[in-house]
Amino acid sequence: MTGCNLGFINPLSVLENPGTMAGDFYSRNFEKKAVPGRIILNLGPQHPSTHGVLRVLCELDGEYVARCEPVLGYLHRMHEKMGEVKTPWQFLPNLGRIDYLHPLAWNWAFVGAAEKLAGLTVPPRAEWLRLIGCELNRVGSHLLWWGAFVMDLGGFTPILYAFEEREKINDILQIITGSRLTMSNFRFGGVCADGDSRFFRLIQEFIPYLRERLKMYKGLVTDNVILRRRLEGIGPIDVDMCQRYGATGPILRAAGSPRDTRQDYPYGVYDQVDFPIPTGPVNDSFGRYLVRLVEIETSLSIVEQALKAIPEGPIMMEKAPKVTWKLPAGESYMAVEGARGQICVHLVSDGGQTPYRVKLRAPGFSNLSLFAEAAQGTILADAIAILGSLDLVIPEVDR
Amino acid sequence: MLQAIWDNIKGLYSLLVGMSITGRYLLSPVETIHYPRQVVADEIMASFRGPIQLTKGKKDPAQTRCISCQMCVKACPGHCLSVTKGDTKAPAQWLYDFSYCCLCGACVETCPTGALEFSHKVYLVTLTREELILDLLADLQKRAAILPESQPVPTANLAPPTVPDVESIGEPK
Repeated sequence: MTGCNLGFINPLSVLENPGTMAGDFYSRNFEKKAVPGRIILNLGPQHPSTHGVLRVLCELDGEYVARCEPVLGYLHRMHEKMGEVKTPWQFLPNLGRIDYLHPLAWNWAFVGAAEKLAGLTVPPRAEWLRLIGCELNRVGSHLLWWGAFVMDLGGFTPILYAFEEREKINDILQIITGSRLTMSNFRFGGVCADGDSRFFRLIQEFIPYLRERLKMYKGLVTDNVILRRRLEGIGPIDVDMCQRYGATGPILRAAGSPRDTRQDYPYGVYDQVDFPIPTGPVNDSFGRYLVRLVEIETSLSIVEQALKAIPEGPIMMEKAPKVTWKLPAGESYMAVEGARGQICVHLVSDGGQTPYRVKLRAPGFSNLSLFAEAAQGTILADAIAILGSLDLVIPEVDR
Repeated sequence: MLQAIWDNIKGLYSLLVGMSITGRYLLSPVETIHYPRQVVADEIMASFRGPIQLTKGKKDPAQTRCISCQMCVKACPGHCLSVTKGDTKAPAQWLYDFSYCCLCGACVETCPTGALEFSHKVYLVTLTREELILDLLADLQKRAAILPESQPVPTANLAPPTVPDVESIGEPK
């Protein structure tokens, strides 16, 4: 009977034969049989140094990771299925909840795919408002990653500073989205609220403020010898590995490949702004750290250009789709650059009340996939540094 | 050996640099607010989308503009609204289950008469789940009974344009 007993563990049997029945199905079947000198360590899903509810099974040889494997699905919420049972409008609030750190990019991917399919034109002011919101949101996402990453490595203070900046960004974005976390201001054919004078004033105050703070970040964290020794040379990820696993975003750029959806396949008004694509000087964890910090500055300069270029005018197209709007039959595809990489939405509609299929491509899933290879043979503490440098958001990975 | 000592000195120095930055910011003014004694400024709350509420009527503030057309009930992705029609067009009961609400604004944007709006309640706390089922008609009566002078009305130009500042519409001039 014990052979088919997969989930349930009899406490008495563990007491009688210590070690034989410990763990669950995954950890008991990770190795075919026990290997002398090796232990199986379960990192997560509630481990403080993993992100969210990610679970990583590690086979340790001493302190070295011989093999590890991420176990997913603890935060699976059927977002793709929900897209099939709700009208496109009713699916909009879901998009803010897939990736809670960069919700506006997900909004843009889905709304953009629907607009492509239906052939809707967005007024220019709405396009610029989308760009400003998306870039500020990217800054907020990178700031939170910065704080959480340094906290993974043992430095607690920086996350408090990061949150101070993030709250200021939330104050700004709240004016156009109405919420502070699961933002969703994109509508088919525009945005739901216009930015007022206070919105633009706060952004103009915020940009020089954050530039000053970034200098402080450099002194506090980037130049810190202890941090650099934890990161330099740890977890090199080259372009070849990125291509094999489909990793995008700052990881690919740190590897040296200047790929950015905003410039390769411009959407919205990204072809009207001028910005460099930062690539990392090195492809290790420290390179990925530097690329994200440079990206914050890049986003700030994009927002600055947008403030000069934003025209007056309507923020919604005329005869904008209502809640009961049906997508025309056909399929469309939209890719946008999120804070973690390329976000893609493939939308198939048969002309009915709800879409036939909504495929969401989360960059975090591909980025996490390469972790098993990158972490092999490193010390466990370095594996945590690699995991942190991938910038994972588990709701997005599990969807 | 010498290298190891030098590395330690360098590590200690960068630790001191970090500590001096932390110390400098420790002495700077506090950014956070102490909630029960201080609250967030109305200016910031004006654009916050709290639980929805019925807007006050044009003639009688206690009268809702709702015509029980059920458009919001159909639009809601969370199925959290229930409107019961009375003898006339006006609803007999207007229940709103806030525990299922995702604050997307589908009901507000779809309402043909502008009978719904977002409130700015950020401090809504209940002890049980049942208390989150809000009776919006009773809430409207309660808000209409309060004298307009005592209401903290957010300035009109701060509210987002799609959420009309109906708070001031129903007030006697």
